[in-house]
Amino acid sequence: MTAPMTRDARRADTTEARLAAIDLPTGGFTAPARAEALARLGTMGLPARRDEYWRWTDPAKLNAEQPEAGAAFRVDRPIFEGRDKLRLVFEDGVFDAAASDDPVLAGVEIARLSEADRADIHWAKAQYGALEASGQTPVARPFAALNTAAATEGVLIRVTGKAARPLHISYRQSEKTSDVILHHVVRIEEGAELTLLETGTPGARSNVVMEVDVARGARFHHIRPQGRATDRVMVTHLFARVAEDATFKSFTLTTNGKFTRNEAVIEVAGDGATAHIAGAALGDGEDGPFHHDDTVFIDHGAVGCESRQVFKKVLKHGATGVFQGKILVRPGAQKTDGYQISQSLLLDDDSQFLAKPELEIYADDVKCSHGSTTGAIDETALFYLRSRGVPEADAKALLILSFLADAIAEIEDEDLAGDVVARLEDWLARRRG
Amino acid sequence: MRKGSEHMKIERENTMAQGHDTAAELEVREGVDRETVETVQNMGAYKYGWETEIEMEFAPMGVNEDIVRLISEKNGEPQWMTDWRLAAFARWKEMEEPRWAMLNYPEIDYQSQYYYAKPKSMAEKPKSLEEVDPKLLATYEKLGIPLKEQMILAGVEGAENAPAEGRKVAVDAVFDSVSVGTTFKEELKKAGVIFCSISEAIREHPDLVRKYLGSVVPQSDNFFATLNSAVFSDGSFVYIPPNTRCPMELSTYFRINAENTGQFERTLIIADKGSYVSYLEGCTAPKRDTAQLHAAVVEIVILEDAEVKYSTVQNWFPGDEEGKGGIYNFVTKRADCRGDRAKVMWTQVETGSAITWKYPSCILRGEASQGEFYSIAIANNMQQADTGTKMIHLGKNSRSRIVSKGISAGRAQNTYRGLVTMHPKAKNSRNYTQCDSLLIGDRCGAHTVPYIEVKNNSSRVEHEATTSKVDDDQLFYCRSRGMDEEEAVALVVNGFCREVLQALPMEFAMEAQSLVAISLEGSVG
Amino acid sequence: MLEIKNLHVELEEEGKPILKGVNLTVEAGKVHAIMGPNGSGKSTLSYVLSGRDGYAVTEGSATLDGEELLEMEPEERAAAGLFLAFQYPVEIPGVGNMTFLRTAVNAQRKARGEEELSAGEFLKVVREKAKTLKIDAEMLKRPVNVGFSGGEKKRNEILQMAMLEPRMCILDETDSGLDVDAMKLVAEGVNALRDPGRAFLVITHYQRLLDHIKPDVVHIMADGRIVKTGGPELALEVERNGYADILAEIA
Repeated sequence: MTAPMTRDARRADTTEARLAAIDLPTGGFTAPARAEALARLGTMGLPARRDEYWRWTDPAKLNAEQPEAGAAFRVDRPIFEGRDKLRLVFEDGVFDAAASDDPVLAGVEIARLSEADRADIHWAKAQYGALEASGQTPVARPFAALNTAAATEGVLIRVTGKAARPLHISYRQSEKTSDVILHHVVRIEEGAELTLLETGTPGARSNVVMEVDVARGARFHHIRPQGRATDRVMVTHLFARVAEDATFKSFTLTTNGKFTRNEAVIEVAGDGATAHIAGAALGDGEDGPFHHDDTVFIDHGAVGCESRQVFKKVLKHGATGVFQGKILVRPGAQKTDGYQISQSLLLDDDSQFLAKPELEIYADDVKCSHGSTTGAIDETALFYLRSRGVPEADAKALLILSFLADAIAEIEDEDLAGDVVARLEDWLARRRG
Repeated sequence: MRKGSEHMKIERENTMAQGHDTAAELEVREGVDRETVETVQNMGAYKYGWETEIEMEFAPMGVNEDIVRLISEKNGEPQWMTDWRLAAFARWKEMEEPRWAMLNYPEIDYQSQYYYAKPKSMAEKPKSLEEVDPKLLATYEKLGIPLKEQMILAGVEGAENAPAEGRKVAVDAVFDSVSVGTTFKEELKKAGVIFCSISEAIREHPDLVRKYLGSVVPQSDNFFATLNSAVFSDGSFVYIPPNTRCPMELSTYFRINAENTGQFERTLIIADKGSYVSYLEGCTAPKRDTAQLHAAVVEIVILEDAEVKYSTVQNWFPGDEEGKGGIYNFVTKRADCRGDRAKVMWTQVETGSAITWKYPSCILRGEASQGEFYSIAIANNMQQADTGTKMIHLGKNSRSRIVSKGISAGRAQNTYRGLVTMHPKAKNSRNYTQCDSLLIGDRCGAHTVPYIEVKNNSSRVEHEATTSKVDDDQLFYCRSRGMDEEEAVALVVNGFCREVLQALPMEFAMEAQSLVAISLEGSVG
Repeated sequence: MLEIKNLHVELEEEGKPILKGVNLTVEAGKVHAIMGPNGSGKSTLSYVLSGRDGYAVTEGSATLDGEELLEMEPEERAAAGLFLAFQYPVEIPGVGNMTFLRTAVNAQRKARGEEELSAGEFLKVVREKAKTLKIDAEMLKRPVNVGFSGGEKKRNEILQMAMLEPRMCILDETDSGLDVDAMKLVAEGVNALRDPGRAFLVITHYQRLLDHIKPDVVHIMADGRIVKTGGPELALEVERNGYADILAEIA
């Protein structure tokens, strides 16, 4: 009985030390939510390697009081440049008004958390920290609680109509030791629609939470190319609640990054709701260490809903990919159509893929399935391409793109999907030969 | 799962026990599986739920070093074995009961169990069937063990020479804590096969036991295995010499009879180079309204080019419809394919037990070694099962295949939990996993928790899982041909399990098929 | 054009010999057919010529216009003018048929030092050639061979052949899995590509494809060797009497 006590004590110490290094904000409409989040964090503590959902990803880099210094990728090539959009820029976690567009868009209310939080009353008061709190069961997500308690910056977005153009949150990093905490709150009102682009690396170490409430019949599209900083340490949490007949779609592209953990908790809460979440991750250990973790939880609590999880990873030179994905179908969530696929392509013998695709089902009239495959490039397909004259390196690149195609297909807008493919091609081209 | 369980609780309270009409009339139509239909027709509740009143010799309740010593002494064990047990017990005291499985059961009081129980009539060997405690004989008869084998199991002198009936299956029966007899010993001996109780093996073949015991499931492998290492009372031992095909199937029947008695049997199978054996295991227990503990360990060592098939039909008492009583079944089974091209096949039909915690595993150490796992797990009423396998690929060109069929009915929870690991050195290896779950009714749960770790790229791992309910079209088709709903469900479920049933030896497959139907009794309606 | 001399090949992993001294010369403008029972090594020959992994050449050579094929990478052989129409065309989900074709065409042009085709030019040529093969635009949009019927897959192979304009075409069991109408369509496509500068090696188990693609020379292959060579009449003999008679006659 002595060993676990020591573990608990160590966990408490780590949590305390981490919190001591943060200047916690006070006052404003978020104050009660922050206090609750702090209490939650106190109870659960920061994660340890022995925790079930951290068995393959060591939380040490996130637990450390200070971030490791990481070279900034200041010249990160822009993406979605040609698209008409409204851009909001954060540099090292601080809003850059000069680099941003005027935040005026018909049918969309946009506010900065740091400014809005001076007031006691705000539409976001009921939502800030709420989805994060409900997303803490059954699995604790301590870094999200930490984020709710400590974030001072972020965007509050309320959409009441069909946004004429996408909103673009663009992150930049210029400091080698920036430790960024951002908390965004998004509410898509009944029947409204928004496309949100989220690009780049927020800081040397970053912790980003986005809470998205999609009301009845509303639609939310999220496309997130996570920047190419190789030294990046990043944890993100996407909490969403999808109401009746509403649609939630999120796609993440990860290239490079020594540590990325993308968590998503999606409550499919209204009858007839749709939730799709997809990710494509490419890591080449030659550029620096690469560890990428997708931890996804889809929670079906309504009738006649559909969910899809499509996650693909391409790994090389000692890169590690982790996928932990779960579909929960609660009692009564009949006619659920839940699908999950996690696949990885190991380009050499050093890389590894670790996966735990889970189903937890308490309703009988459902169609749920998952698949997971791991292996090398299909030699037959490679030969077919080469026999048509395509050089080996090009053929491999083409097959990698084809491997990722199902994930990219989850991006509805063809132009935006094209931009993502172009970025992928670019990434592959630089690693050819 | 806070929200989920609250929701479920409400559902439970709202649900009244629904009446159910058993079809009185039976018409077997063309193409209908007669076996299944008849079974459904004859369906009572748990068939093996009787208890035999036999005078027992118990050790004092609870477990401590003295009890461990007593068990060792009763079995006439040498000092090294006693020391081994005591070392395990010392470790066990430091361990915590694992709680990661999706199982919900009240805390087990390890001190309110008996760890040793033996029929008193075993003290002296009976001379003929007349002298055998008739209740013991009746027990075997009810278990469906043939007469001659009943005699042998009862320890009747000279029974080996009596004529055998039907097919030859050598049986070792374990009644509560002790092996009560092994059949066909002489015939096996001619082939060089050793098949006896583990207690006898410890006395008669100490070199083999010392070399292999604990080499697959180490003494302190996990909480339940460690407890077993300390207190196991008996079990079976098998040694197949090199290049020998075991002349008959070997079988063990486990029976828990006494109340408040834990059963801790230990099985050790060694298949030497180039040998083959098929091993069957069956288990039953009487109906009681208090839960009983069962924590067994099975170790299998498979050397170069050898093959072992291990089939289980687990039919421990599952508890009543309200979840009262039943066996808590915590089992550690592991096969070590130590030599190149060694092969193991686990087949299990898990229909009994209130709680099942069981992961028959394969360590694929040898090059081109093979592991297979075929499983049917049925959980009805308030049963909970958390079962699956581990395929640890260490050797090059190793292969594994997992086919798991889980069926949940009533308010049961059924979880597949598995691990597939491709070690960096296990180049060119393959795994294919198929996990299907079937839900019958909207109050049960079906869960899948696979762990996949791939650490080289020349290996290929494929995992597929599906969850669905019994197909309405199939049910309707059967019913339109005259079957009632329960028969139809049993038939469709048997179809769903076909791939696993086919992996079983013939007699077992028949038994398993009827068991599928029996287990689902009361699940429709 | 294609010259195979004393070619010996075995399966790399098992060391099992498959081809045991194949000699064959195919001249420009000619159609040669290779027939033979299952397991005679016909398909292995096509794979070895196109450079598939898993085979070890233990002896002999294969040259295309004097250049040693066996030392080239598969894509170099393609650029040199060799084309294999697969018996089982590979499905590549996620790669559009058009993307595939254009990548292949331009890769070969580049390898030969020719200018790459622009998207517009390429589209024009593809549409034209697809039309003659009765391949509709829908098929061009779909991923490579995914969801194609047997006939569509084989037509797609011929479209690739038409686009890549190889000089030496090997057709491996192109008729397998096709009904008569589909086979005719494929044969018409092949016949349209017949040209004094181009040669064909048609590998088939049955004579029926040769009704539609008339060969100049017919070879019988058995146990890894060409055991008999003759004119079109040899194919008819196989059709009438099966392989047993011919094999018996040689033995």
